[in-house]
Amino acid sequence: MTVFTGTQLQSLGRLGRSWSVTAVLLVGASIATYPLIYTVMAAFKTRSEFASNRLGLPLHPTLANFGQAFERLDISRLLLNSFVASIGGVVVTLVASLLAAYAIIKLRVPLRRFAFFLIVGSLLVPFQSIMYPLYDTMLAMGLIGQRIGLILAFGAFGLPFSTFLLAAYLGGIPDELLEAARLDGANSFNILVRIILPLSIPAIASLTILNFVWMWNDLLLPLLVMGGGDGKTLMVGVANFRGQYDVNIPLISAGISVAIVPAVIVYLLGQRQLIKGVVTGAVR
Amino acid sequence: MAVARPPPSPPRIEVRPATRSPRLNLLRTGRRTDDQRSWWGLLYLLPALGLVLPFKFVPLVSGFVDSLWHLVDVGGAGQFVGFGNYARMVGDPEVVAAFANVGRVVLTLPVWVVSPLLVAFLIHQRTPGWRLFRAVYFLPYMIAPVIVGSIFREILGTSGPLNILLRSVGLGWFAQAWLGGINTALLAVVGVSLWSFFGLGVITYLAGLASLDESVLEAAALDGAGFWRTLLSIVLPMLRPVVSYWAVLCLGGMFIWMFPLLFSLTQGGPGYATMLPEYLVYLTAFQFNDRGYATAIGIVLFAVVSLASFWIVREMYASSVARERA
Repeated sequence: MTVFTGTQLQSLGRLGRSWSVTAVLLVGASIATYPLIYTVMAAFKTRSEFASNRLGLPLHPTLANFGQAFERLDISRLLLNSFVASIGGVVVTLVASLLAAYAIIKLRVPLRRFAFFLIVGSLLVPFQSIMYPLYDTMLAMGLIGQRIGLILAFGAFGLPFSTFLLAAYLGGIPDELLEAARLDGANSFNILVRIILPLSIPAIASLTILNFVWMWNDLLLPLLVMGGGDGKTLMVGVANFRGQYDVNIPLISAGISVAIVPAVIVYLLGQRQLIKGVVTGAVR
Repeated sequence: MAVARPPPSPPRIEVRPATRSPRLNLLRTGRRTDDQRSWWGLLYLLPALGLVLPFKFVPLVSGFVDSLWHLVDVGGAGQFVGFGNYARMVGDPEVVAAFANVGRVVLTLPVWVVSPLLVAFLIHQRTPGWRLFRAVYFLPYMIAPVIVGSIFREILGTSGPLNILLRSVGLGWFAQAWLGGINTALLAVVGVSLWSFFGLGVITYLAGLASLDESVLEAAALDGAGFWRTLLSIVLPMLRPVVSYWAVLCLGGMFIWMFPLLFSLTQGGPGYATMLPEYLVYLTAFQFNDRGYATAIGIVLFAVVSLASFWIVREMYASSVARERA
């Protein structure tokens, strides 16, 4: 697998080389992780310890900042808002894109090419160009400031990529399977639920993780739809921490540490699906 | 992918006609048996179209219309100005500064393209712990950019870790308020965004490297090609499609993914030092309430992104063709 193979002399050189490669990678890895480690460490320090011992390990670790974060920053409400919006958005996106991909690829409905173009092509409409008109349209529909408004907006913005991926995936399911079920008297909805859905679980798992992470982490759409009111998501809350509690870095760090946890858990659990989904399009 | 098949092959697979191409097959059955049912099938498209039309296409069309109007009063009727909003941009120092800034950011593109490739190539050597390195490098990409901004406001602060580090190694004269200086703020924002997106580049390149033919690399090693030589003369040209994919992704990101970072790092300041068009669209629409103008800026931004991406793809294609001819 390695670039350098051959005689023993070369493999000796390879050993030295592999350690120098590891050393370089270690330097980069510490740059990648240090800001996170620093923040988590700060979350466990009291304000006075943070002032005297900014960089070191917390010598007298305290959970007080986390308690305060939940109390003063109202993290539990923000967490709940984010969970409702992200999970709702994932469900809307997946249901709509699975139905659409099924109709386009397997039922071959009339105008399917045009529908596919409309749905997947909307990926190219950049958010910045429609930022205000989107707000205006949603206002007219009574969706601004409503949880359901954010869920539907997330659903719409997750749709193009999810439909694209599911369409490619359904294309690989043999038609004979569906034909056999049809001969047994199954209607198209039965086929979708009994055959297509179970077979698409790998693609759906990958899309669930990808969509959850971006919806959880997104700032602009929740900011636009929910504003800074009671329904604001965790990320909008985090953006406001700085302004309000700028002097209390340990408190902010505790809030940030909590906010990071869900995305990191999803990453640890679904690393493989996530990485596979993220590089779709890079390598054909 | 495992090629090995279990010995008792399921009967279903035997039924499958191997000679017909699946694509043709798709179209034929569609014409023959599904026509009546398929009109019903349109119902399955309703949820998707019901989302895409009001959330994407209605705003897109009304955005073009809005950009021709002077809309300032909330709820009040606007005034038709034709392409006045577009003409106004040329003389607006804030707009000019924002587009000049994004131009400066684009100049850093080579760093964005080469540095993750370097790390991916090192990880690809399969040295001890490479799986762990892959996971660690990707981790920052999982952190929301708005949180990344909050973290780095502290890291890059006047008395933050970076300046403490600089002072401790005798570079105290170099320590400064990175985000507060006219000359350093934009560079700091670029650095933070590179930290944030770097892992995606590494993962993308690793997927590309995995698809390369190892024997070419082994032949290069036997011919005595060193590390840099292999990377620049062999790996980079062979990965051209992945490199251009990643370059276009970065370019798009520089234009339209920076909002949350700017929101939590600098808010476009000091002055206009870190003002980028996408942030200006937001400010103009929601702080200054100048909605028609904001939409016009958004549309110009869209045009610029499309042109820049097109140009990159064409350049890369042209240079690869030239290389093949030579």
